[in-house]
Amino acid sequence: MNDVLDVALRLVIVFAVFMVVPLVVGQAEHKVMAHMQGRLGPMYAGGFHGWAQLVADGVKFAQKEDVVPADADRRIFQLAPAVALLPYLLVILAIPIGPSEGAVGQVIDAGIFFVLAVMGVGVLGSLMAGWASANKFSLLGGLRTAAQLLAYELPMLLAAASVAMAAGTVSLPGILNAFEWWWLPWQIVGALVFFVAGLAELQRPPFDMPVADSEIIFGAYTEYTGLRFALFLLAEYAGIVVLCGLTTVLFLGGWHGPFGEDGLGWVWTLLKTGVLAFVVIWLRVTYPRLREDQLQKLAWTTLIPLALAQIALTGIVKVAIN
Amino acid sequence: MILSATAGHPGFLSPTGVEIAFLLVGLATFGAAVVTVTTKQLVHAALWLVVALGGIAVEYLLLTAEFIAWVQVLIYVGSVVVLLLFGLMLTRAPIGRSPDADSGNRWMALGASVPAAGALVWVVVDAFRTTWIDLDGPAQGSTKASGEFLFRNWVLPFEALSVLLLAALVGAIVLSRKDRQDRKDRKDRKDRPDRSDGRTAGQVRPDTRARRTGPDRTERPAADREDNS
Amino acid sequence: MPPIPGSGLAKGLAVTLRTMTKRTVTAQYPDVQPELPPRTRGVIGLFEENCTVCMLCARECPDWCIYIDSHKETTPPAAPGGRERSRNVLDRFAIDFALCMYCGICIEVCPFDALFWSPEFEYAETDIHELTHERDKLREWMWTVPEPPALDPGAEEPKEIAAARKTADKLQAQEEREAQEAREARDAQGPAEDRSDRAAGQEGQE
Repeated sequence: MNDVLDVALRLVIVFAVFMVVPLVVGQAEHKVMAHMQGRLGPMYAGGFHGWAQLVADGVKFAQKEDVVPADADRRIFQLAPAVALLPYLLVILAIPIGPSEGAVGQVIDAGIFFVLAVMGVGVLGSLMAGWASANKFSLLGGLRTAAQLLAYELPMLLAAASVAMAAGTVSLPGILNAFEWWWLPWQIVGALVFFVAGLAELQRPPFDMPVADSEIIFGAYTEYTGLRFALFLLAEYAGIVVLCGLTTVLFLGGWHGPFGEDGLGWVWTLLKTGVLAFVVIWLRVTYPRLREDQLQKLAWTTLIPLALAQIALTGIVKVAIN
Repeated sequence: MILSATAGHPGFLSPTGVEIAFLLVGLATFGAAVVTVTTKQLVHAALWLVVALGGIAVEYLLLTAEFIAWVQVLIYVGSVVVLLLFGLMLTRAPIGRSPDADSGNRWMALGASVPAAGALVWVVVDAFRTTWIDLDGPAQGSTKASGEFLFRNWVLPFEALSVLLLAALVGAIVLSRKDRQDRKDRKDRKDRPDRSDGRTAGQVRPDTRARRTGPDRTERPAADREDNS
Repeated sequence: MPPIPGSGLAKGLAVTLRTMTKRTVTAQYPDVQPELPPRTRGVIGLFEENCTVCMLCARECPDWCIYIDSHKETTPPAAPGGRERSRNVLDRFAIDFALCMYCGICIEVCPFDALFWSPEFEYAETDIHELTHERDKLREWMWTVPEPPALDPGAEEPKEIAAARKTADKLQAQEEREAQEAREARDAQGPAEDRSDRAAGQEGQE
């Protein structure tokens, strides 16, 4: 009975985190992006600096009519948002935020493979949406999504493999237990590759070709309205949280910090994740969208060689230490 | 890696919860696989394939082979099916039935697949026979166990497979390179000015212009996305 | 020396970060009224006392958005046996702000200073017909016309002040001349009175 309660409590907490943190990131994006462009951003909803803007947006989305195009493949069209969103929920389950046993939703032996595999599944949602919408812009968006995923999954995996080699384990808490501060300069190239490839996999600007609004309206999500559209947006922000959390855990040492590791390790994790989320927003504001061929070129001619070089470096250092 | 036989298994007539789950997931996977090959809708077939492959991953998980399960999801669901869908969308992916996709080789396919499936089942059954896995003990399919097993006992097949994949990779590169060489030859022939015939020169010009203003040469940053700000 | 690879990317990041630390330029309009420059073209006010119904504004308007109706009144001759005078009386003066493009030509061409810019701009309506402001409404806008901005230091005096000063100077010169004549006439009587008289004159001048 106690075990059941424990599992239920963990699930509830993870679900709450999953519902709240992406909204916090979204609100931060509203405000940071506004100020980076010399604007104020939302100011009314909720009274104080528009803190409840996303809640209001959610209410608005819930009120909208849920339209399914006449020619669409109904069932797949309606299933796609869930397929896009659920994997991120599962990934958050596996990210450890503190050193103790209770600070992770579920310890998974092959943690790296789990998170990368499940994140890859999330893209299936975009593909299904793109195909099932019976809209040529949606189809183009789906195609671009697929091409982008195929190109960026590889450098992401290679960069993660480099960390796994360094730690000698593929379990996320295991990697953090093995972490030393000098891994930071050692794995810095891998960290950059992982972060950039993750951004591309999430279709965040400047890698937002699949939803390029000036070219293909909103890509795979063109035909969506109401709550289903909101779920896609939520998936994007949950993806940011997951990517930043993973980069923190794999490359920035998670709960390790200059001081206060024992009791306040989770603060370090959250702090690093928050800084990375800020960087994600910062990059979105700063850079224009890449063109499709530039996107592919970046993946195949820059990121993959860099990731391979990182693996070679990791191997050499590892052998030298032993 | 799951060969560690344990003596004294409980027998078939008193199944545990895991065994029942294994059987049910197996049935679901089999059903998804059957739908995959019988459905008339191309993209639905690919999506049912996702279900079938995911079911297999769940079976691995139930057998405590966690690493294999996640790799199954990563490679097959995350990459192979995405590639499949990509190919379908690029060529033809109509919504609804596509009866013309049936090649009419149903009997031949059946004739090829039934013996193949029979052979596989027979090999697996014969190899493991009454081997039982102890699910309650330490996970026998963990990453560590898989790694040790793979790189101690099965290094040679592993390396042979990697050489095979390398050969495939080199072959793919050679094929694409050859194609480019062909195009270059054709272009050289076209670019050579043919003074006796003015029409040839006229045909060349649009081609070269298209290349000069191709997507590689123009740097045109698009505007930032303003969707949900 | 070629630029370091990635320096352009870093520069872009620096620009956005710097912008974030600066004050925003957002005008919180309904909460905070904007500070408008003195010559803002908000709405046109009519100082109908100055209007002579010369119709120049209506004729110059590129949009034909000024409507003027008038009739003639005759006034009896000023002197018996003289000619009757006729005078234009304004019946209707309206500006259709749905048509107006705020070019300000009517204000420029008005020879009698009857039209003025006012910075008021909050007169949106739900019915387009109500955007045609009639004479009384245009007269109301006159109360919102700000004082003309002060001239630059060292600028030429405004014409009306120059004219007034000229008249005043002329008047003073005449008074002084009369005083001078009076003094000369008084000089024969005694010099003591003369001094106090001159002091009073100087005070008056200041």
